[in-house]
Amino acid sequence: MNSPWMIETKQLTKMLGGKPVVDRVDMLIQKGEIYGFLGPNGAGKTTTIRMLLGLARPSSGHIRLLGKDIRRERLDILRKVGSLVEYPSYYGHLSGYENLEAVRRLLDIPKSRIDEVLAIVRLTKDAKRPVKGYSLGMKQRLGIATALLGSPELLILDEPTNGLDPAGILEIRELIKSLPRSQGVTILISSHLLSEVDQMATRVGIISSGRMIFQDSIARLRKQAKSGIRMRVSEPEQAMRLLHGHGFQAAVESELLAFDDLPDAQIGAMVARLSEHGHLIYRIEESAASLERIFLDMTGTEGSL
Amino acid sequence: MLAMMRSEWMKIRRSIVWLLVPISPLLALPAGLLGTSATDGAPWQEALALLAVLHAMLFLPLLTCVFAAMVCRYEHLNGGWKQLLALPVSRTSVYAAKLAVILLLLALVQLLFLLALLMVGILGGFAPPIPWGALLSSVLGGWIACLPLAALQLFASTLFQSFAAPVAAGVVFTMPNMLIANSAQYGPYYPWVQPMLAMIPREHMAFGAFGITSGTLLAVIGVSFAAFFLVGWTYFSRKAV
Repeated sequence: MNSPWMIETKQLTKMLGGKPVVDRVDMLIQKGEIYGFLGPNGAGKTTTIRMLLGLARPSSGHIRLLGKDIRRERLDILRKVGSLVEYPSYYGHLSGYENLEAVRRLLDIPKSRIDEVLAIVRLTKDAKRPVKGYSLGMKQRLGIATALLGSPELLILDEPTNGLDPAGILEIRELIKSLPRSQGVTILISSHLLSEVDQMATRVGIISSGRMIFQDSIARLRKQAKSGIRMRVSEPEQAMRLLHGHGFQAAVESELLAFDDLPDAQIGAMVARLSEHGHLIYRIEESAASLERIFLDMTGTEGSL
Repeated sequence: MLAMMRSEWMKIRRSIVWLLVPISPLLALPAGLLGTSATDGAPWQEALALLAVLHAMLFLPLLTCVFAAMVCRYEHLNGGWKQLLALPVSRTSVYAAKLAVILLLLALVQLLFLLALLMVGILGGFAPPIPWGALLSSVLGGWIACLPLAALQLFASTLFQSFAAPVAAGVVFTMPNMLIANSAQYGPYYPWVQPMLAMIPREHMAFGAFGITSGTLLAVIGVSFAAFFLVGWTYFSRKAV
């Protein structure tokens, strides 16, 4: 019970048709964290989340949520977990309020909580309308309201911005950021876009083809980025040969001198050498690889994830 | 389980299912008024036999199929299952509540049918006394005979991710009811015909499967209900959603 982990999986595996869709995943999420669960579509994010919630059975491995075994204490655990899986679930013929009421009756919480969550996701005005007339963004917000209904300690949001336009994505992101962090809610949010969780996650897990290939802080992920120095000079080719002559590693990339990350002293020395030999230095810039780039390099997928 | 039922009520309250509940009784009323006469030897029994044929042969099994598909429809439609089953509810209580809703709807249908029958008798000026024993055992028997079918159709409705497939299957299997009722050998074991066997008074139909005694029929119904429920419940408990 005194486990520090809100979510802890050990060698979690799901086989489908003889192939591992989720392959020996060890996921660790601490209390109070906002954990970004990243990976391209089809990498196994949703399957992992479905297993966390007891919606699907693992082929092997263990899952503990809130320090308890999901197989043995599923109901106890789920009382404290709010979730939104893949796309929003709703009963189209019911109003937003009635949708929440149908769930509230199962959670045994006061009715006033419905108005609270409606206010949080700003659906109070539309609460009486049938949900089938809602926009996708409103359905997503209703889904988040449903997840928040039971005042969960752990919130699991699977692709909460999927299929939304940029304005909708921004709206959901602001909403998630505004969630009461003071109450110590732990949030697992999955996405196929790094940029989406970049600004809110404290830690990330990256899954690719069922394997967890990275799990650490965002800061550590950035460090993995190969940063470098770019220099614009008057005659790059000659400058490069000159620097090689002085024992520096340099290359020319699209008319720019490119170096690996170097200490300041070395850069100073290079600049001095170049100036001595009459090269004009227009600008020196540090080029940090974007998180998107790192993410792409790691998952080995190009273009749209 | 009570919370589960109250949640189900929330979902079914605004459903079009309520339009289907009174159909058969509403049709039975004019059919009874036109097709019976107070001068018959035993007008109450005549009316029951007449009205129960259409109601129990066709409507009861079809409505069972539709109700079963209905209580699953709004869960299939927009990811209801995964939201529901990720809540602190046991799958057993979810499954039991769905079955209970089907059975409650069927009970309502039977109640309205009884009401229609009573109105036929009263409006038609049938001589008292009202044979309560025969009427109630028919209506209640018909309801009990729907149990195995309800369990079977609920299984089918959770199995298929659609509304149409289990209903279509139900229709296909309901159609040969008249033929199957003629078979003393297979009739009693055919879930779609059991409501008819249970509802129509024995003395009016003494052929084919109607020759079966109430006790035997009840035993068959009990065993097949238990079997269908067990299969469906086991499947649902392990189903990945």
